[in-house]
This record gives sequence, structure tokens and C-alpha cells, in this order.
Amino acid sequence: MSDRTPFYGASQQFPLTRWSVVEAARSPNPEQRQRALETLISAYWKPVYKYIRLHWNKDGEQAKDLTQDFFARVLEKRLLDRFDPARARLRTYLRLCVDGVVMNTDKSAQRLKRGGDVTLVSLDFETAEGELQHLPIAAAGGPEELFAREFARSLFAHAVAELRTRCEQEFKTLHFQIFELYDIDGGAKELTYDDVARRFGIKATDVTNYLAFARREFRQRVLDELRKMTATEEEFRQEAQSLLGVKIS
Amino acid sequence: MTWIDDATLERLRRAADSPSLEGTRYTLIGKLGQGGMGGVYRVEDRQLERHVAMKVISVPDAEGELSRRLLQEARIIARLEHPGIVPIHDTGTLSDGRPYYAMKLVEGQRLDEYVSGVTTVSDRLRLFLRICDPVAFAHARGVLHRDLKPANIMVGPFGEVLVMDWGLSRMLFPANKPEPQPDQNALQSTDSSAPTQHGTLLGTPGYMAPEQQTGQPVDARADIYSLGAVLEFLLTRMNPGSVPRALAAIQKQSMATNPDQRYQTVKELAKDVEHFLDGLPVRAYPEGPLRRAWRWILRNRAWLLLLLIYVVVRALLIYFRPR
Amino acid sequence: MNKALLGMLVGGVLGVFDGLSAWFTPAARSQMANIVFGSTIKGLIAGVLIGFFARKVHSLALGIIFGLAVGLLLAYAVAATQPGPNHYYFEIMLPGGIVGVLIGYATQRFGHGAPTRAS
Repeated sequence: MSDRTPFYGASQQFPLTRWSVVEAARSPNPEQRQRALETLISAYWKPVYKYIRLHWNKDGEQAKDLTQDFFARVLEKRLLDRFDPARARLRTYLRLCVDGVVMNTDKSAQRLKRGGDVTLVSLDFETAEGELQHLPIAAAGGPEELFAREFARSLFAHAVAELRTRCEQEFKTLHFQIFELYDIDGGAKELTYDDVARRFGIKATDVTNYLAFARREFRQRVLDELRKMTATEEEFRQEAQSLLGVKIS
Repeated sequence: MTWIDDATLERLRRAADSPSLEGTRYTLIGKLGQGGMGGVYRVEDRQLERHVAMKVISVPDAEGELSRRLLQEARIIARLEHPGIVPIHDTGTLSDGRPYYAMKLVEGQRLDEYVSGVTTVSDRLRLFLRICDPVAFAHARGVLHRDLKPANIMVGPFGEVLVMDWGLSRMLFPANKPEPQPDQNALQSTDSSAPTQHGTLLGTPGYMAPEQQTGQPVDARADIYSLGAVLEFLLTRMNPGSVPRALAAIQKQSMATNPDQRYQTVKELAKDVEHFLDGLPVRAYPEGPLRRAWRWILRNRAWLLLLLIYVVVRALLIYFRPR
Repeated sequence: MNKALLGMLVGGVLGVFDGLSAWFTPAARSQMANIVFGSTIKGLIAGVLIGFFARKVHSLALGIIFGLAVGLLLAYAVAATQPGPNHYYFEIMLPGGIVGVLIGYATQRFGHGAPTRAS
């Protein structure tokens, strides 16, 4: 059976080596560990904050402190060293670590001395708090689902931002605008491709092509980010499946 | 950064998941379902102006393993030209790198949804026989399904039965070899249903044969076990007390833990079900002479009743004859 | 076995028993051989006719009706030829009709026939 068919094009798209926060966090190189932590914080700080606020019912200040404490512990206690991908996904492991931090933190606020060689990325808690107003007080589906949803939200927000940047750099702002219309704002429900084409002054076939380009790139951004957040190919595949799991219409 | 509410989150999920069909002759209509490795979509074939179903790998596949499996699935289905097996129209790779194959769109109901409208045992058994047909055909062509279950069986608008989702199917021997004789040694699978490298066992609990669950090599009898489980599904929806013993025996033999004690071919299983429908003795339920005689009487009760009427009328005429 | 042959067999056997039942009528005992012979022939004729009908027409209802008609007709013919004032129409035609029904049912239900022409 020949493997040289167009059917196998997909296998050439992905890099053979993977950079993951888990491996980098275990590196003896402090710069690598720093980079890993920054990547982890970037993806997880909002989900952690919202999780502490909604699931643990902490007020804004407490949640802010606990979020920062958590990531400090990840670095200083090297929490990722204990992570075993065979037993759980990284996302689940981190959530359980958050639970541990919250449960063990005393009200007298025993803050960890944050190491002088580590600079945490400044976190925009105000924006996160503002986003919480859009969320229901009681999270449906339990803590795991809440955390997973917020992680997805954070990941997608990153991917959208990266897509926007890339489109701007490549002079494809129209591509992004059409993507925004269909998939971010949801404003294309009553519109045909001809309507959208007229609005943007392009052909109807261009609408489908631009949209397809943007969606393809968006998917790639999402998967690239997700790949960094997983330790193994299997975990990556499972996370991709659950992240992209779509309700069937 | 853009705030993404739940509705937007869902739209973005769809956007990331939806296949890029530009450059193909298809237009996306909607999503039909999601399997283990791929999603199935309703698409329009613009050239032939018809709707078809398209299966696309939806999870990342850096090593190409899923691509190979999808192509194998497509090739296996393409070999099986049978009214009960959905035909493949096309294969290829999308512009986003994801492999796909296009097949006939089945407008119907899954068996687990359809069966509630089938109210008699005999109708359910005839339905079951229509499920056995394509499976027996596949076995004759050297293909095991390995994931038979109500969710993988569709019933079309004209009552036609289609066995779907051959994603776990396996070839027993290459296409250019002759068809097997009914010999279980020849029907051994060349690869076992051992756990995948990702530690996930292939198949569905409850419908998977014990040898398949434990990762041992499987043969056609694993599918027979699954058919027995489907038969059990069809029967248990009815009042359990009303399942005749012979039928329960057929189902039990299909699902014997030891493959040597099951029916050895789908044909044997189907034959016993047909015999049951015809009121004949079944292999799975040996009967004594009295029971066989009673069965014969039941099968021929109309004729025997007429004969009795004749004898009674004759006797009455003799008794009341003018003297 | 084809339907005509089956009809003959069933008709013949029932004809024999039909004839033998005349033994219960003492007046008829002296004529037993003739009665049995005649009854058997009647049964065979009815069986052949009904069997051929079943080869052409695959319908249980029509087969039974035809069998009844043939059975009654042949029984009438036998009763009409009875000597003496009493023809015993009822006593002969009733069982004769039932035998016709039996043969009609058996030939429709069992045996192998030629496929019917499309009507």
C-alpha cells in the first residue's frame, strides 16, 4: 500500500519536535523555566482567577492574591515536576493544585516570598473581574467544566489576538474582519455571502475563501497554543478533541 | 483582548472544527455527528448536485496514524459493495491538511431511535436479519467490523438497513486473495485488537466480545458476539417476560464467553433466527420429541383444526344418521 | 412435491377415510368396496383439480373457496346418483365440502407450484 498519496499531507504540517511548558518547566536552565512559567501564566491566569472567584467564592482581592500565590508556588515548589501525564491532563492537574493552594492558605494571608530572580507578568485582574460579570454566579457542570471552559476561553482569546496580528502584518485585515463578522460577533446569521460581499466590496467567492483562510489559521493558532500546554501527543489529541468538541445542531 | 462570551466561544469552536472545503467540489451544510477520531458532516457535492456525508479527521494527527486509519477505513468500505453498506464516493485531503472521505448520506434513523416504532418480536427479528446480511457479506470478503452496535446501524426511509462506521474494521487478508472457506483458522485477524499505543481499547463496552476486551486476536466470532448484543438490545426493549426461550437461547449462544461455543458464522446465527420465525426448531434450543410434536402441531394448527372439524362432522353425521 | 400431486395424495387419503366411514351405516356395508373406491376416486379428482388451481393461483382464500366449490360439486354429483328416494345431500355434501376445504388449504400452504402469471 503506497503512502505517497495526497492523503498523507496532514502529517507533514506539524513539527516533529514539540515545545511544552511541562518539559520546559523541568529544565535546569532558569531562562527556560521562566519562559515556561510565563507561557503557563499567560494561558492559565484568567481561568485560575475566575475559578477561585466562582468555585471557591473568594472576593476579588483574595482571588488576586491566591492566583499570584499559586503561580509562585508552581515556580518555587516546582509543581510541574510532579505532573504525570499518564494519570491526568495538565489542565486537571493544575486545577487540583489550585484547590490545594486555596485550601491550605490561611486567612492571615501567609504570602510566599516571591523569589527575586522571578518576575511575574503583570496581570490585568480588573479586566478579568469585568469579564466575570458576564458569567453566571453558579457555574453549570461542576468545577472541571468551569475550569475547562475558562481555559478554552483564554486559549481562544489568545488565538484570536494572534490571528488579528498576523492578518494585519500580512495586509489581510479584510480576512480577519469577515472572520470577526461570522465567528466572533455572530453578525452574519441573516446575511448571505452576497450580502457580505457587497458590504466589504468583494466577490462572494472571496468571502468564502477569506473566511476559510481565517478559520484555518485560527485553528492552527489554537492547536499551536494547545500543543504547548500538553505534555504528550495523546494528551494533546484528547485536549484538542474536548476543546473542539462541538454541540451537534 | 477581545472578550469571548459563551455564544462566541461556541461559534469559535465550530469555526476551528469546521473543515476547510475550498478547493474541493463540496460546500459545507452542517455537522451530523462526531466519532472517536473524526467528525461527519453533511456537505453538498456541487458537481453532482446532491448531498453527501463527509468524514473528516478532527483531531491533530502529527504522526499520520489517523490518516492511515481513515484511508484504510475508506478502502475497506470501498471493497464492500452491498446494499447494506454505505458506499464511498471520494477520498482526499482538505486544504487545512485534514484527510477525508465522502460517502452516501443516509437519511434515516439510528437503530436505537428506530426500534421504538417496531412493536412485535417478529418484526424486530426481521430487522435483525437485515443487519446480519451485510455483516455476513463483509465476513465473506474478509472484513471484520469490530464495533457493531445500535448506534452504528441506520435504518433508511424505506426500511433499508445500513451498517455504518467501519472505522475499527480490519482486513483479514489482502484484496487479491480468494474468499475464505468456512474455516475459523483462515479467519483469524492478522492484527489483534490490542490497546492502541495511546492506551485506549477500541470498541464499545457491552457490545465488545470478551476476547476483544482483553486485547486477544479476534475473528468473525467477535462480530457474532456483537450481533448477539444487538439482538439482546432489540429484545430487551420489549417486556422481558415475553421473550421466548428459544430466542433467548439464540441470543445467549451468540454471546457465549468462549468463541468456540458461539455460532461460528453469521449465516448460522441468521438461520436459527429464521427457523424461529418459521416456527421450526432452533439449534440453540434442543427440544425433546414431545416439544417437537407440540411445535409441529402449533405450526400446522389451522390444517389440523380443519381435519378435526371434518372428523367431528363425520362422527356427528354417523351418530345422528337416520336408523 | 408439487401441488397437484399433493392435492391428489390428500384427496386420495381423505377419500379412503370418507369411504370407510360408510361402515357405520349397516345398510351400506355390503357396498363397502364400491363406496371406498368411488370415494377415493372422488378425492383424487378433487385433489388434482384443486392442486392445479393452486399451481396457478397463489391465494389461500381463493384456494379454500375453490376447494369448497369442487368438494361440494363432486359430493353433489355423488349424492344425486344415490339410488332410492333419499339422496342424503346434506350427509354427503357437508363432509365433501370440508374435504375440499382441507385440500384447498393444504395445496395453497404446502407443496411447490409454478409461479403465477402477473394478473
